[in-house]
Amino acid sequence: MAGTIIGEGITIEGELSSDEDVVVRGHVRGKLIAKEGVVVEAGATVEADVSGGTMTVAGSITGNVNSTDRVDLQSGAKLVGNVKAARITIADGAQFKGSVDMDV
Amino acid sequence: MSTSIDKSTFLRGRLRGDGDIVFAGRIEGDITISGELTIEASGLVGASVNATTVIARGAVRGDITATDSITLENGARVVGNVRAPRITIEEGALVRGHVETGHAGSATKSSARTAVASAASAAPARAAMPVRAAAPAPVVHAAPAAKAAPKPVQVPVPVPVMVPAKKAAAKVVGRAPAPVVPVLKKGAKAKRR
Repeated sequence: MAGTIIGEGITIEGELSSDEDVVVRGHVRGKLIAKEGVVVEAGATVEADVSGGTMTVAGSITGNVNSTDRVDLQSGAKLVGNVKAARITIADGAQFKGSVDMDV
Repeated sequence: MSTSIDKSTFLRGRLRGDGDIVFAGRIEGDITISGELTIEASGLVGASVNATTVIARGAVRGDITATDSITLENGARVVGNVRAPRITIEEGALVRGHVETGHAGSATKSSARTAVASAASAAPARAAMPVRAAAPAPVVHAAPAAKAAPKPVQVPVPVPVMVPAKKAAAKVVGRAPAPVVPVLKKGAKAKRR
């Protein structure tokens, strides 16, 4: 399986950059830069600015999110920060506080 | 599922926590986990590594410490100290640094070091005590000694200078085989005290 997976119980403090998919199940504090998709799973916490392609969020993000493609906030997700993306969906039950920039 | 850091991932910072990690990327920062850390051939760790078990076939520039075991496989390049209860270095692995295996070695070494240190610090203190005790004894006739050790002298001298000169002499009797002034015997001294 390609890509980087930050497992449960693992904490990364610093700047993480990857050319492939990044799946976060643990904790990331700092900065997260991916060329491909980013998945923040339920239970995961990201206290970082996140940039990448398709973003699927079911966990918690505190920080600005910058996507070249789309951002999907799933039910149970919590996002505090600004979002810049071509498309965004916010599912029922997702918490979101911040501004959206969709390149209108 | 456990953690895996792929080849294209670069991490500047620390990585810590509980769980197994398969590391194929690059990191400039410490890795501290309880679990098994596998550093793949493409992996490059630029700082120290602490884990329960470490299996390395990549590069590490820093110390590797494991609480259980370390295996350096073919392709591993390590510049740094390697320390664990059990260490395997396979053919083809390159190591430059100090290697230390076993609990006992590390434990005794560190404890011995502290023991020596404490003994060294304790010994002079103990050695100093009798010297100071002895110094006031010959005080009456040995002014230079008093000068040599001014601190201890200052305290005991003022009182015994006049009256217990004999007492001081008694001490000398106890220590020196050829007393100059054999005024009192040992028993007398004990009584007086």
